[in-house]
Amino acid sequence: MSPRKARAMLGWAYLLPYASLFVLFVLVPIVVAAYLAVMQFDLTSPKSAGFVAFRNFADAWRDEYLQRAFVVTAKFAAMMVPSLVVVAFALALGLNAMPRGRNAVRAMVFLPTMFTVAVTGILWQWFYNLEFGLFNFVLKNLGLAPVPWLSDKNIAMPSIVLMSLWWTSGGTAVILLAGLQNIPRMFHEAASLDGADGWRGFWSVTFPLLRPVVLFVVVTNLIGAFQFFPQAQLLTGGGPELATRGVVQYIYETAFNGYRLGYAAAMSWMLAAVVAVFGFLQFWLMRKEAS
Amino acid sequence: MRIRQALNGLLATILAILLVRSGWIGAVRGRTQTEISFWNGFTGPDGRVMLELIRRFNRENPDLRVSMQRIAWATYYNKLMVAAVNGRGPHVFVIHASTLPRMNRAGFLEPADFLFGPGGVPEQDFEPLVLRTTEFGGRRVGVPLDIHPQGLYCNTDMLREAGIVDERGRPKPPTNREEFLRAAALMMRPRGSPSPDRYGFALTHWQNNYQSVFPQFGGRYLDERGDADLDNPGNVEALEFLGSLRTEKRLIPPPDNQLGWIGFRQKKVGMVFDGVYMLGDLKRLEGLNYVGAPMPVLGHKPGTMADSHILCMRKGLTERERDGVARFIRFLSENSLDWAEAGQVPARRSVRNTDRFRSMQVQYAFSRQIPYMVYPPRIVPLFEMGLEINLAVERVIRGRMGAKESLRIADENAQKAIDRDRAESQAPGGSR
Repeated sequence: MSPRKARAMLGWAYLLPYASLFVLFVLVPIVVAAYLAVMQFDLTSPKSAGFVAFRNFADAWRDEYLQRAFVVTAKFAAMMVPSLVVVAFALALGLNAMPRGRNAVRAMVFLPTMFTVAVTGILWQWFYNLEFGLFNFVLKNLGLAPVPWLSDKNIAMPSIVLMSLWWTSGGTAVILLAGLQNIPRMFHEAASLDGADGWRGFWSVTFPLLRPVVLFVVVTNLIGAFQFFPQAQLLTGGGPELATRGVVQYIYETAFNGYRLGYAAAMSWMLAAVVAVFGFLQFWLMRKEAS
Repeated sequence: MRIRQALNGLLATILAILLVRSGWIGAVRGRTQTEISFWNGFTGPDGRVMLELIRRFNRENPDLRVSMQRIAWATYYNKLMVAAVNGRGPHVFVIHASTLPRMNRAGFLEPADFLFGPGGVPEQDFEPLVLRTTEFGGRRVGVPLDIHPQGLYCNTDMLREAGIVDERGRPKPPTNREEFLRAAALMMRPRGSPSPDRYGFALTHWQNNYQSVFPQFGGRYLDERGDADLDNPGNVEALEFLGSLRTEKRLIPPPDNQLGWIGFRQKKVGMVFDGVYMLGDLKRLEGLNYVGAPMPVLGHKPGTMADSHILCMRKGLTERERDGVARFIRFLSENSLDWAEAGQVPARRSVRNTDRFRSMQVQYAFSRQIPYMVYPPRIVPLFEMGLEINLAVERVIRGRMGAKESLRIADENAQKAIDRDRAESQAPGGSR
């Protein structure tokens, strides 16, 4: 065997463990979902399963609950992504400016990211409890009226966003901090000599040089936001009055509570199409940035 | 040399494990065991009681070995359904009576008629209403293990403090609308406050609470043709009453997930409606004094909602497995008095007619509702109907909509789900 061929074989051998898992847990489910999406496939009536072409997609297009779920998901993304970028940026800038103790503070900021969403959700459920929760206990002691954090249609979503920020901003801040630390000092020094300190320096030097990292953070979090599900499932169960039931939760309920796998698969493809748009957008913007 | 010794040791260990796992040793000793897998959702304290029963069964039946898999109810049916439809399901499993229609249509339930009669469980020992939940097309698909009606839990300290006692000074749970409203008002602290520290009553699961109340107003789920009838006058009146507790009478806290139950546990709520199965949760608490009672008559007649755990088996079992499962089901049914300790009402009349069961205060009090309890409708799209009922109740108790309009919307959406299910169960892409 030639050395080149041997090296190629070695490369494939390294890839094999990941590739086999990828095929099993990603590729096969995608193919199965594509098959199911054009089938009427209800686990409770296997005898009536059959090919229905694009009927599931047409039904989903008219489904008022799906439309509502898309609005809820978009609302979450619109609240979550900008606030995450602002909070994480502030944390990263603060950490970057610290002369001492940065590592300890960074570890503390990063800590909530290490929790699973289940732990985070249960913890915040207690914080938010209307009558007996920590937040309202503090408010009551300050002589203020309790806030219906999770039971008011207008407050429930911001409450979920707040919990998600606590949970994820540390991880995003660390990514931004790494980007900040990669900016050569000479740029800041040159800008300082030209009188561009403070905000001017941030907008003229730091932010432009950090743009690829910010772009990455924005697009990956936007894609993540469209998969919004466990936070709402744990905190509100999708309520009040479906005000926090996103697309993924609706798909989950259709598939695993209603057992309508074909219809759920069709809705999954519709969500995948939306996420793909943002994926391509990121790809296009990054290529543009690189060129 | 050392490596060789280690390898020999490893080989011997593997061989020993394989021998034990293969059952060959047991076979040589003439004791082949039949493995029976048993799935359920008893992940709370009830699971420990069930585990103890299984250990006893395994001791008394050395030729069988029942192994239990407990899965949280939230995901239990997904796993059971997917496994069983593919023929890989457990031998025996628990299904709620309300879920039986969809599981039965999925086609993996073995008819269980042979379990009743001589040598089996006595048919006449069950209430006809309970047995009917297991019947499809003239055949039974399971054996009811228990009944779990919704009822009233009262904090006895709060009742006593509010002066709600009988002539002997014992706390007296309300039995009718007037007493209920009086108790809810008297237990509130401070009385009449817009933001009280303690409430006399709070809702727990709105959907269940409402379904426990509307039978008392003559309400129902379906009409005679099997179509949705959620906006009938009885349902509307019941929901108006429930909504008025918050919007007019200001007797209950604003609706919030699980608020009522958490409050009851923390002695901040005096009364709640919930299932008898919640007793296991209360038993773990120290310092909470409570009693169980039948639902007070808030409408025009007694009534409450109930469900049951049904023991079922899957199709395709061997003769030995079928025999083992039959013995196991019979054992659980005969020993359902032990199961009652976990917070259940046994399905068998003879078990309920024992002094030991009568001494179980909450279970016995809840069991008195059996003559007039109502099971959820026997339809496949029950999840969809439940969601609509939940939304309808939520809109009303939040004061966003009147009961009639809210139930009209729920009825319309539930009917759509029923129509779709009817069409789809006939043919693929049936007209929707």
